[in-house]
Amino acid sequence: MLESLFGNPVIEKIFFTVLAYNECYALGLAKTFDEPVNKFQQQLKRLEEGGIIVSRLVGRTRIYTFNPRYAFLKELKALISTAYEFIPEAEKERFYIKRTRPRRAGKPL
Amino acid sequence: MRVDWKKIKIRELAALVCQKLDENDIDAVLVGGACVSIYTKNEYVSYDLDFVSHSRLKDISEVLKDLGFKRESSRHFVRAECPYFIEFVAPPLSIGSERVKEEEKIKTRFGRITLLTPTDSAKDRLAAYYHWNDPQALEQAVMVAKAQKVNLRDIKRWSVAEGHKEKYEAFLKRLKI
Repeated sequence: MLESLFGNPVIEKIFFTVLAYNECYALGLAKTFDEPVNKFQQQLKRLEEGGIIVSRLVGRTRIYTFNPRYAFLKELKALISTAYEFIPEAEKERFYIKRTRPRRAGKPL
Repeated sequence: MRVDWKKIKIRELAALVCQKLDENDIDAVLVGGACVSIYTKNEYVSYDLDFVSHSRLKDISEVLKDLGFKRESSRHFVRAECPYFIEFVAPPLSIGSERVKEEEKIKTRFGRITLLTPTDSAKDRLAAYYHWNDPQALEQAVMVAKAQKVNLRDIKRWSVAEGHKEKYEAFLKRLKI
C-alpha cells in the first residue's frame, strides 16, 4: 500500500508491525513474514539512522520502537494507522494480531 | 593554531568543528549532552558531540577530514587520539514535535559554537526523561537550569504540549531542592 512511498515493501511491514505491537525485532519480523533476516536488519538500521525508530538491547535481542522524539511521528503514525485500516482482515490476523499477553514458562499450550 | 588532541576540551572541539563547517557553508547546530557539558562547565561530562545539519554527509565528511576525522559508520566520525566522537543526527532540528526556532552562539578562541539555547538544551534533556524515564536526563536538565538562565514558562508550555505536565512538575520540584 505504501510501498511506492517508502521505496520498498519491507519498511511498510516494519511500520505496521511496530504500530500493532509497539515494538519489533529483526528475527521476529523475518519469521513472521518468512523472509531473510538481513532484509529487515538493513531497513531497521536505515530507519534508526534517520531518527524514526530507536532501539535498545534486551538480553541479546535488539528491540525497536518508534522514536517518540521524531519530529513528524504524529503525522507518520496517522498515515500508517490509516493505511493499516485498509489491510485485508486475513492479512491482519496472520501478521499483526498475534498473541502478546504473557505465558508462564513451562506452561503447556 | 596547534591542537593537543589528547587534551582537547569538548568546548574547544565543538568550536573547531563549528568553525570549520561554517567556513565551508555547512550549517550545523550542536545538540544533546555536549550542550549540557558546555552549559554546566563540565559538571556533566559528555564524550560525544551530536550535531544536526541539513547538509549532505558526504560534504560534511570532506570538511571533517581536514581536522583528521574519519567517517567510521554512516553518521559517526572519530579521530586518532581524540577522546570524543562526533555524530550527525538526522534533521530536522527539533525538540519533540516542535521545531527549534532560536540558536545560541558562543565565541571561543577556537571559533564560534552554534548550539541549542539553555532553555532548549533543558527541554532536549527533558524529552529523554519524558519519553524514556531516563533519570540521568532529568539530572542533566536540572544541571542546565541551575547553571544557566532558562525560560521556565516556555519549558512548561512545551511540556504540556508534549503531554508531560506531571513530569514537568517533577522537574520543577527537583530544581528547587
